[in-house]
Amino acid sequence: METILLRNVGVADSHMLATYAGRGGYRSWQKVVESMKPAELIDEVKASGLRGRGGAGFPTGMKWSFVPKDNPKPKYLVCNADESEPGTFKDRLLIEQDPHAVIEGTLISAYAIQSHTAFIYIRGEMVYGATRLERAVEEAYRAGFIGKNIFGSGYDLDLIVHRGAGAYICGEETALLSSLEGSRGWPKLKPPFPATHGLFGCPTVVNNVETLAALPWIIERGAPAYAAIGTEKSKGTKLFSVSGHIAKPGVYELEMGYPFKKFLEEDCGGVPGGKKLKGVIPGGGSMPVMLPDEIDKVNLDYESVQAAGSLLGSGGVIVMDESTCMVRAALNLSRFFAHESCGQCSPCREGCHWMEKILHRIEYGQGEQGDLDLILNIAGNIAGNTICPFGDAAAWPPGAFIRKFRGEFEAHVAEKRCTVG
Amino acid sequence: MDPVKITIDGKEVVTTKGKTVIQAADEIGVSIPRYCYHPKLSIAGNCRMCMVEIEKMPKLQIACNTQVAEGMSVLTQSPKVLAVRKAVLEFLLINHPVDCPICDQAGECFLQDYYMQHDRQASRFDVGKVHDRKKTIFGPNVVFDGERCIKCTRCVRFCQEITKTDELTVINRGDHSTIALFDDAVLDNPLSANVVDICPVGALTDRDFRFKVRVWYLQKTPSICPGCSTGCNISAETYQNRIARFKPRINEAVNSHWLCDEGRYCFHDLAGGERLTTPMIRQEGGLVPTTWEKALRAVYSGLKSAQPVAGILSGRNTNEEAFLFAKLVKKLAADYALEVFYQERELTQVQKILMSPDRSPNFRGARAMGVSTNGGFDALMQKLIAGSFSSAYVVGEDLVASAAEPDQARTALQKLPFLVVQDTRVTETVKLAHVVLPATHFGEKDGTYTNRQGRLQKLNAALIPPEGALQDSEILMRLLDLAGEKNGSATTAEIFAALSREVSAYANIDYDSIGDQGIELEAAVAENHDR
Repeated sequence: METILLRNVGVADSHMLATYAGRGGYRSWQKVVESMKPAELIDEVKASGLRGRGGAGFPTGMKWSFVPKDNPKPKYLVCNADESEPGTFKDRLLIEQDPHAVIEGTLISAYAIQSHTAFIYIRGEMVYGATRLERAVEEAYRAGFIGKNIFGSGYDLDLIVHRGAGAYICGEETALLSSLEGSRGWPKLKPPFPATHGLFGCPTVVNNVETLAALPWIIERGAPAYAAIGTEKSKGTKLFSVSGHIAKPGVYELEMGYPFKKFLEEDCGGVPGGKKLKGVIPGGGSMPVMLPDEIDKVNLDYESVQAAGSLLGSGGVIVMDESTCMVRAALNLSRFFAHESCGQCSPCREGCHWMEKILHRIEYGQGEQGDLDLILNIAGNIAGNTICPFGDAAAWPPGAFIRKFRGEFEAHVAEKRCTVG
Repeated sequence: MDPVKITIDGKEVVTTKGKTVIQAADEIGVSIPRYCYHPKLSIAGNCRMCMVEIEKMPKLQIACNTQVAEGMSVLTQSPKVLAVRKAVLEFLLINHPVDCPICDQAGECFLQDYYMQHDRQASRFDVGKVHDRKKTIFGPNVVFDGERCIKCTRCVRFCQEITKTDELTVINRGDHSTIALFDDAVLDNPLSANVVDICPVGALTDRDFRFKVRVWYLQKTPSICPGCSTGCNISAETYQNRIARFKPRINEAVNSHWLCDEGRYCFHDLAGGERLTTPMIRQEGGLVPTTWEKALRAVYSGLKSAQPVAGILSGRNTNEEAFLFAKLVKKLAADYALEVFYQERELTQVQKILMSPDRSPNFRGARAMGVSTNGGFDALMQKLIAGSFSSAYVVGEDLVASAAEPDQARTALQKLPFLVVQDTRVTETVKLAHVVLPATHFGEKDGTYTNRQGRLQKLNAALIPPEGALQDSEILMRLLDLAGEKNGSATTAEIFAALSREVSAYANIDYDSIGDQGIELEAAVAENHDR
């Protein structure tokens, strides 16, 4: 398969403008600015079938089209580079290895909504990536790809790299905007939606790094070429970050609809050490865990994974072999979400820690009868009852772990110790 | 204002476009429980208590941020809604200390009330509560208990949006989230104690009120703040015949939901201290107790024989008292001057949200009643200091203490051949009097005030006056009796009826129709009496 997203990764000095431009970089940007109207660009991306790669899978062209054209306020495009989902490290690779592709995609997206100021909001911990991005932005400014009167077209665009301060929640787009505004990183109430009331109350689009990095290729090759890849509803390619008990962990680019089992066993070399697969999280830490037999017929596209009871999410694949204590795994994730809950909505603020505390006592041999049902009940009381999807993200993992590995949890409670291995 | 028709629990409601479901429900008296929602603050949507079921929407929606739409069908009592309320209450209570027996909010706490209405289950939480800061001083009037806080952020939004002073914020994350002062900030803005009123739980309490009395023992009397001429509507809340606290009473035409700190605590000054309960008369060597009969006769003959008379009335006296006072002085003396006490000070931007520059809540009303002759209080005081008067009748004000140069005022009053002081406490001015008449303060009387906008508002007696003191109106009527004008013992309503006949701005107003929200006098008349 021809790689789209990883085409420059691995090339020497792939992060330099000279390398990127030498491989056809910024030609799409030039084409867009010189020959495309914003409406044409939006139609092109709609036709490509590209969907947001941040986790929700919302069609990118449609997201752009929600920005009102007659609104007199400035419009903003924000590249969401706050990659923080447990088990997800695909954006980091693009930022570090192919920063110009991220920048070019950001510029194209900004043009689509006729924004004159764009931001890349990068996770605070990604110091290396931020440095690379800042250098790349500087190079692109010097080359005239960003700034005033780009390609002599009269179109002006500034691009600002902004570092976050270390909060998972700031990957949620409205929390990201709060943070970018200089406020506490709290998600905002919707409605109003960012497309009309986003950054500083102005029309705003937030796109994920991977989504943006696909744009130069789509413009270069045309929407039909992209739409020809993948399944009927999940078009193109997607990056998967594979970690855990797997022979060849790393970032893989796959055509949408690639068989999950084949991917794990053949491409990733399967579970090492002759051990058996016990469970796999397909879409980052917040998505429900799946059992080995559940992934047999699953393909890696939005619809197939959802039909199997989980979600493709960010494509963060976490593999767990038979030596994994599922109570400990659930506790680990639960601790993460309890720590990262922003504290705004009552159910999430209070419930995440409550679940964590109960899981903690089960893991440490002090679980009680009724604890499992209590956790399921708490999870049910959080999910769907909060401002942002974090509540769901925090509620799903413990719920799924308990439902799918109930015997193991019960054994922990009954025997007051870990029964695995 | 496009009308929108929706149904709430099957009941058809016609409301207007742009309203939210919680507003539409409030309009028809369907109370959807809420913590973070406050009609005067921005929508936070974080407590999740107001979730309702809306037909055709897969998930429950928060009523505070959902706008009404034509044909919308809202359920506020469905099994799903009741279940989520119970769940939210459980979440809010798991880390709460449930220390109601020692909490001042008990009895007016949204956690208690909603728990009884919507939760009523034993705690399922047995894994150790999160601890937070206790009795943390936020400012001169407000103390914070982090463990009782439900992070609704009403207080934070109040300081951001109403006073725009930004003292408070939320710090930390998850269940360690808590409210805190910004570095170096003190919650000491002129409206700071309103955060106590809007705090739905016991997290923010009033340093002045707390530990004094359980709220269910309080007797609540709707009244008017005597602090200045804004005339904020208050509930005067009393216990064992003492004022325990003032709380703002909602009046959108005057103070909305708020009350300034100066007004809130002014009762300590105005209603506190040792009371005068015996009339006194000056004899060789000082003031000695006497009977009302003798004291009033002395006033009557003293004023009559020592003209010109200066009549100075407090701005806290009611319209009814002012009416009688003007009538009396005019009756007794051919040569007189009358003024209402009035002093202004500079106000800051935040103070101006509610406060008026004066401290005379009925300044405009008293002038309308005729307590005004020669160009203002300052001019009258100048004349008094210059020795132009032979006597003075001073009601409810300490002219010595309030003067810019107290010694000058004291000397002038001392030189007067005859000085009557009618007050509630022994003041510097009382000490100079020839006759002292123990009277009542704002908390003990019925009557009306006219605020700076020309709004006529009702004062209601919240306290019983001490034995021996007489109502100002009673004193004035008895003196009028001596002067030959028989009033009998008229009620406040009767006095108001009399003034309504004589003072055109107050014509055709029935005392009983004034109500708890007051009524606006004709705008033109109000302007006439504006300084």
